[in-house]
Amino acid sequence: ASDVSVLWLPLPRSLLTCRTAEPLEYHRSFLKENCRPDGRELTEFRTTTLNIGSISTADGSALVKLGNTTIICGIKAELANPTVEAPGKGYIVPNVDLPPLCSSRFRPGPPGEEAQAASQFIADVIESSEVIKTEDLSIDRGKLCWVLYCDLMCLDYDGNILDACVIALLAALKNTRLPEVTINKETSAPEVNLEKRWELQIHKHLVSASFCIFDDSILISDPTAEEETLSTAHLTVVTDEDDRLCSVHKPGGTSLSGERLQECISRATTRQREIQKLIAKVAHSVKKAQ
Amino acid sequence: MAGLELLSDQGYRLDGRKATELRKLQARMGVFTQADGSAYLEQGNTKALAVVYGPHEMRGSRSRTLHDRAVINCQYSMATFSTAERKRRPHGDRKSTEMSLHLKQTFEAAVMTQLYPRSQIDIYVKILQSDGGNYSVCVNAATLAVIDAGIPMRDYVCACTVGFVDETPLADLCYAEESGGVSSLALALLPRGGQIALLQMDARLHQDHLETLIEAAMTACKGVSKVLDEVVRQHLQEASVLTGE
Repeated sequence: ASDVSVLWLPLPRSLLTCRTAEPLEYHRSFLKENCRPDGRELTEFRTTTLNIGSISTADGSALVKLGNTTIICGIKAELANPTVEAPGKGYIVPNVDLPPLCSSRFRPGPPGEEAQAASQFIADVIESSEVIKTEDLSIDRGKLCWVLYCDLMCLDYDGNILDACVIALLAALKNTRLPEVTINKETSAPEVNLEKRWELQIHKHLVSASFCIFDDSILISDPTAEEETLSTAHLTVVTDEDDRLCSVHKPGGTSLSGERLQECISRATTRQREIQKLIAKVAHSVKKAQ
Repeated sequence: MAGLELLSDQGYRLDGRKATELRKLQARMGVFTQADGSAYLEQGNTKALAVVYGPHEMRGSRSRTLHDRAVINCQYSMATFSTAERKRRPHGDRKSTEMSLHLKQTFEAAVMTQLYPRSQIDIYVKILQSDGGNYSVCVNAATLAVIDAGIPMRDYVCACTVGFVDETPLADLCYAEESGGVSSLALALLPRGGQIALLQMDARLHQDHLETLIEAAMTACKGVSKVLDEVVRQHLQEASVLTGE
């Protein structure tokens, strides 16, 4: 499907500017009428589709499409020794990969700035929100624990990576089934039973909502790649189901007043409920199919 | 694996297929919006994505520009969760670099690069789930992606991995068969002229069997080309319905 620009308002000829020649003017002409080139409202999010459990080699997987932005998350669990600071807990290692296939702006080679910043953001969000209790990942205190490697890969980059990553991560964690491990009393060696699997318990359902500020004053939610490059500031709010904030991320850019921030937070809470319903629906349909 | 027969007496393989039967092939073109051409292909349990950018201006080292044709740049990588054991180095290791080079050489034989001098065509292939025949699935997916990008090619490039067990050639090997010590041969073919773009075999095989194995591989590739052709026509039909032609 091609990206459709809905020109349902008659614009004077002078404003029918070329999208590639003067992108800022093009977007401004839409924002004046309180809408965006793809026909959305200023606070509307793109259509989100979710597909879980499609990769059988991974212990848990999810594919999210937020408009055109596509992120796939694969979770692999491995056995490891727990860290000295936290002997009774396992750990989660997230990694966001923005390969050159997702957009022509990325070159082949080591992870760029954006990928590393996104990985760190996801790691911070997981830690602060306690999406799963890392004590659940411990098998033998001080000796053996599970480590979950969450690899998020972008397949199609059209803006708002962080939101899609958080949704993919949450859905993949919900889908993850770890095998049972028992410690043999005599040999004290772990015995993994691949047939018997248990589901991870999700304690907090996190959802993030991203916004960007245009021209220092107009706030739009869920920016596309074009809107992101033209905007003057970004903001990401992560909330959980108890209406508590897990993370507010505003990396520089133009300033934002307190009330606008409150608006964003309330929009984020509504988004949280939408996504939670979506994930529950998809998880339920997968269970029914099994 | 003692006791697991790659080819039973009745002629059935580990997954119930016959010796010359290919795995189920499903493919979709035009799956991503950012890329000029893209395709997703599933062959049995092996899932691959191919994305093509180009032809565009040379990026990076301008010195590599060719005055009379386009440079094809391929990158092969596997997702970390694609194999049973987590892959520590998805790209940049020797195997991936070798695969990227093979893909580049395969497509240089098929794509009409003389039509785009001084430019670059990028082909990125990613394996999402690996169950044997990685090279072949990549080539098939990349063919569809190049067609989706509208880059002219001499012919479809179809590939298949075949193995030799008990005097019988097995077409389209899965991971269990590949790792079970079968002499495997990977072949990339331009089906209409019967021209071989790439042939690779790193196993011990008696000279007399080579002919039969190559024959079996060519038949399998021609089978794949029929499926790919069907996919392309289907995609074209859907696209023309959408544009109202």
